[in-house]
Amino acid sequence: MSSRPAPQIGFSFEYMMWIFTRLSGLAMFLLSFIGFAGAFWLGARMYLTNNSFVDIGALARWTFFPNPNHVVNTNIPDVAVGWANAWWQIMQITILFLGTTHGMNGLRVVIEDYIDRSWLRTLLRGLIFLLWIFVMLFGIYVIQAS
Amino acid sequence: MQVKLKIFRYNPEVDKKPHYDKYEVEADPTDRVLDLLEYVKGNFDGTLSFRRSCAHGICGSDAMRINGRNRLACKMLVKELGTDKILVEPILGLPVIKDLIVDMEPFFANYRSVLPYLINDEPPPKKERLQSIEERERFDDTTKCILCACCTTSCPSYWANEQYVGPAAIVAAHRFIFDSRDRAGAERLRILNDQFGVYRCHTIFNCTEACPREIQVTKAIGEVKRAIATGKIE
Repeated sequence: MSSRPAPQIGFSFEYMMWIFTRLSGLAMFLLSFIGFAGAFWLGARMYLTNNSFVDIGALARWTFFPNPNHVVNTNIPDVAVGWANAWWQIMQITILFLGTTHGMNGLRVVIEDYIDRSWLRTLLRGLIFLLWIFVMLFGIYVIQAS
Repeated sequence: MQVKLKIFRYNPEVDKKPHYDKYEVEADPTDRVLDLLEYVKGNFDGTLSFRRSCAHGICGSDAMRINGRNRLACKMLVKELGTDKILVEPILGLPVIKDLIVDMEPFFANYRSVLPYLINDEPPPKKERLQSIEERERFDDTTKCILCACCTTSCPSYWANEQYVGPAAIVAAHRFIFDSRDRAGAERLRILNDQFGVYRCHTIFNCTEACPREIQVTKAIGEVKRAIATGKIE
């Protein structure tokens, strides 16, 4: 008895985005832990101990989007030096890319699910693509300019 | 016990809009909802329309929404509902023809689209195409489907967009994809690897909850997704 023909892995757009959603979700967890550790390494620890309470919002900014403008009020003198190096910029751009694409794809999936009229679906897909481009460019500008 | 029945009514030849009719019926706790509908049809209103055939949970004709959940009227006992108020409505997502009868054609069109039959062009052996116990076990769960549409019409993705093939069609595809005698699994996976194939499933689990045959529908869809992702039928 001969064996069954093996299916080809189908590289449809939906398939790629389905895989991307899962992998980017896991990658963002990993990057969050790296960012969290980095935030402490670069001085969030001091910021936390200088205050009597833990400021979750500030810690999240340090972890996910640590540019000097966000932490300029923390009175830590060498902050700008830490963020300016290429490692942290690559980290930030990676998080920006994964987060934005993951989220925008989520919006796209909602549209694919619930919009039946094809012209409206095409229009909204286009709008989401433009929004994705805008957020990416704006985010990269903020990272590079700070 | 006295039961208050509230039934969805719509006759397109007379009504502009659907409405609900109420009936009070004497019922035993072990009566099925189908018995109550038969009683209403026989004693109160002969125009009440619903599908039923075997009345024993095998033919899949009498799927309807009972107190908001997709159930077979012939398997739903009054005592299992835990209330004396029973609301009966047609299943959602398919056009209503009359009262509790919906047009099943879009459902069957989706079903047909996944090639729900054994495909094997190899010359048959002298006896039957043999299969081990394990090979048969692999797709046993999805052979139980009776095409009642309880799963597909409980799926929010299907309500939103009837182009989605729906859980029942994916269950039918699963039954043949994982059958060792079949040779068209790759073709079925190609069909389901589409915008309106498996990717409209967001693991809401309504289908699994609704299935009167207790098929693990969401699990079957997950296995089809995995076969597409890995390129392996295991």
